[in-house]
Amino acid sequence: MLLRVIKALSSVLIITYTFLPTAFASSTIKIAIVGPITGPVAQYGKMQMDGAVMAVEQINLKGGVNGKKLEAVLLDDVCEPKQAVAVANKVVSNGISFVVGHLCSGSTQPASDIYEEEGVLMITPASTNPDITQRDFELVFRTIGLDTQQGSVAGKYIVDNVKPKKVAVIHDKQQYGQGIAQAVKKYLESNNVNVVLFEGVSKGSNDFSALISKIKGLGVDFIYYGGYHPELGLILRQAKEKGLKSQFMGPEGVGNKDISAIAGKASEGLLVTLPADFTTDPANANLVAAFKNKKQDSSGPFVMPSYSAVQVIADTIAKTKSEDPFEIAKAMRSSNYNTPIGKVAFKQNGDLKEFKFVVYTWHADGTKTEATIK
Amino acid sequence: MQFLEQVLNGITLGSIYALIAIGYTMVYGVIGMINFAHGEVYMVGAFVGLIVMTILSSLGATLIPVYLIAMFLAAILVTSVLGWSIERIAYRPLRGKHRLIPLISAIGMSFFLQNFMQLSQGPRPFAVKQLITGSFVFSDTFSISYMQLLIPATTLVFMIVFTYFISKTKLGIACRATEQDRRMANLLGINTDSIISVIFVVGAALAAVAGVLVSLYYGTVRDTMGFVIGIKAFTAAVLGGIGSIPGAVLGGFVLGFSESFASAYIGGDYKDVVSFGLLMLILLVLPSGLLGKAEIQKV
Repeated sequence: MLLRVIKALSSVLIITYTFLPTAFASSTIKIAIVGPITGPVAQYGKMQMDGAVMAVEQINLKGGVNGKKLEAVLLDDVCEPKQAVAVANKVVSNGISFVVGHLCSGSTQPASDIYEEEGVLMITPASTNPDITQRDFELVFRTIGLDTQQGSVAGKYIVDNVKPKKVAVIHDKQQYGQGIAQAVKKYLESNNVNVVLFEGVSKGSNDFSALISKIKGLGVDFIYYGGYHPELGLILRQAKEKGLKSQFMGPEGVGNKDISAIAGKASEGLLVTLPADFTTDPANANLVAAFKNKKQDSSGPFVMPSYSAVQVIADTIAKTKSEDPFEIAKAMRSSNYNTPIGKVAFKQNGDLKEFKFVVYTWHADGTKTEATIK
Repeated sequence: MQFLEQVLNGITLGSIYALIAIGYTMVYGVIGMINFAHGEVYMVGAFVGLIVMTILSSLGATLIPVYLIAMFLAAILVTSVLGWSIERIAYRPLRGKHRLIPLISAIGMSFFLQNFMQLSQGPRPFAVKQLITGSFVFSDTFSISYMQLLIPATTLVFMIVFTYFISKTKLGIACRATEQDRRMANLLGINTDSIISVIFVVGAALAAVAGVLVSLYYGTVRDTMGFVIGIKAFTAAVLGGIGSIPGAVLGGFVLGFSESFASAYIGGDYKDVVSFGLLMLILLVLPSGLLGKAEIQKV
C-alpha cells in the first residue's frame, strides 16, 4: 500500500517537474547562454557572457521583442564535452528554444547534436571548427569565422612574411586546436614549406621540456601552436628558458592577456590571428561606451560575436512574429543583419558569408599591434 | 646533444615525482591505504608558495634566497597542518573499518580540497613570477637552465634530511617499526596513532616542496594541478613497489625518464601510453614493483 502511494506521488512529482518550466516559459523569451563560466578557459566564457548579456539588456531597454522581454539563462559547460551534453539536455528539459553557445568546438559539436534533434536553435559565437556546420543541420549557426579561414590567414602570413625554413606544428589534441593546426599544416605544405614536426601535447599538462628539447634538436625556426593560452604560455616560457629562439604563432584561442601573465617576457613578439577589432569601428562607439560603463572589456574576440548572436535571434523573432526555432532558422538564411560585427548573412550550412581575421603581434604587457606585412 | 638535454629533463621530472611518491608509499606502508588527497596537498603547497611570493614582492624583497626559504617554510608549515588535519578528520575515525571506506573518504577529501581552492582562489591558472632565470648555454641544442639544476639539488637536500630522519632519529625508527608491524609496535609502547599523524605530516611536507618547485619551474598554479601529477606519483610509487621508500624514489625517476624519452624519440602523443605501458610490463614481471617485497600470506 505504502509503496503504491510513494509511486503515485513520485510520478505526480515527475510530471510537475517536467511541465513546470514550460508552463512559465511564455511570459519571457528565454535564451540560454552556454559557455565555460568556470574552468581553465573561463576568461573566454566571460567575454561570451558579457557580450550576450549586454545584448539582452539593451534589447529589453528598447521594450523587448514583440512585447516580451528576453531572459538570459547563463549555464556552465566548463568547456568539457561531457558537461556540454548534460547542459544541452538541461536546456531541452527546461523548454528553452534558443541557445547562444557553446564556446569550445569540442563542446559545441556533441551539444549541437542534441539541439538539432530536439528542435533548439543554436548560434555559437566562438566555435571555429569547420566540422560543426558540415552535417546539413537545420538549426546550427555561428557568428564567427572558421579554422580553415583562420588557418589560411595564418598560413598566408607565414609564407609571405616569415618565410621559415623548418616549421613545427603543435596542437593540444582537442577538436579546436588540432583542427586549426591541420589547416595551417595543409596550407604550408601546399606552398612548399617544410613541416618537420606535427605533434600533439596533452591539454592540462605542464611539462613541455622534452618537446622543446626535441624542437631544438630538429633546428626548427618557426612553431605554430593550435590550442589555448594555458599550454602555449607554458611552452613559450619553457622555450625561452631553454634558449629556443624560434618564432611562435597561435590562433585566437591564445590571444588573451593571461598568456603574458604566464609567459612574461617570452610572450613578446608572438604572432596571433584574431577576428578584426570591432571596437575600433565608429558604428560601435556607443556600444563600447556601454561596456565601459559596466567596467567590462569589449575588445575580447568573442564579445561582439556573442552580442551579434543574441541580436540576430531577437531581430528574427521580431520580424517573423514567431518563436518557432524552425521558422526562425529559415528566416535567418534569407535575411541580412546590421550587427556590431558588421553586415551578417548566413550561408545554407549556417556559416557566416563573411568574417575577417587579422594577424597581430603580441606584446609582453598584454597589448597587441597589427603585424607588419612585408 | 638532444640526448643529454632529455636526460636532464628526465631527472627534473623524476625528482618531482619522487618527492610526491614518498607520501603515497609511506601512508600505504603504514595503514595500507591510498591517500588520494595527496595530490591536492601538493596543489595547496604550490598555492601557499605563490601567496608568500606575492606578499614578499609587495613588501619589496629582492633577495632570491629570502624568497626561496620563506616560500618553502610557509608551504611546509601550512601543508603539515593540512596533512595532520586530513588524517584526523577523514581517516582516523574510520580506522579498523573495511579498507574501502577510508578510500572513499580520501576521494571525498580530494574533491573537497580542489573545490575549496577553486572557490576561494578562482578557477583559472595563476601565473608565478620567474624568480630564477638564466641558464648555462653549451651549444644551440644543449643548455641547462638554473631552475633545472635547482630542482634535483633541492630534492637531494630534502631526501638527505628525510633519510636521516627515517633511519637515525627515534621518531623515524618508530615510524619504521609502525610500518613493519603496527600491533607489535603498539605493544612495545609506541603510540602508533601519533606516528601515523607524523607520517602524514612528513608526506605532506615533501609534497609541498614539490609544489613550490613545480610552480617556480613551470610558472603556473591552478586548482586542478594536483590530479594528474597525483596519479603519476602514485604510479611511480606502485612502480617502485608500494610501501618501499627507496622504491618510490626509483619509480619516480623511471617514470620521469620514460616520459622524456618517449616524448623525444617516439612522439609526444604517445608519452603517457609508453610510460603506462612500461608500468604494466614491469608489474607483469615483478608484481610487487621494482623494490617491493612480495607479501607472504602465512596460513
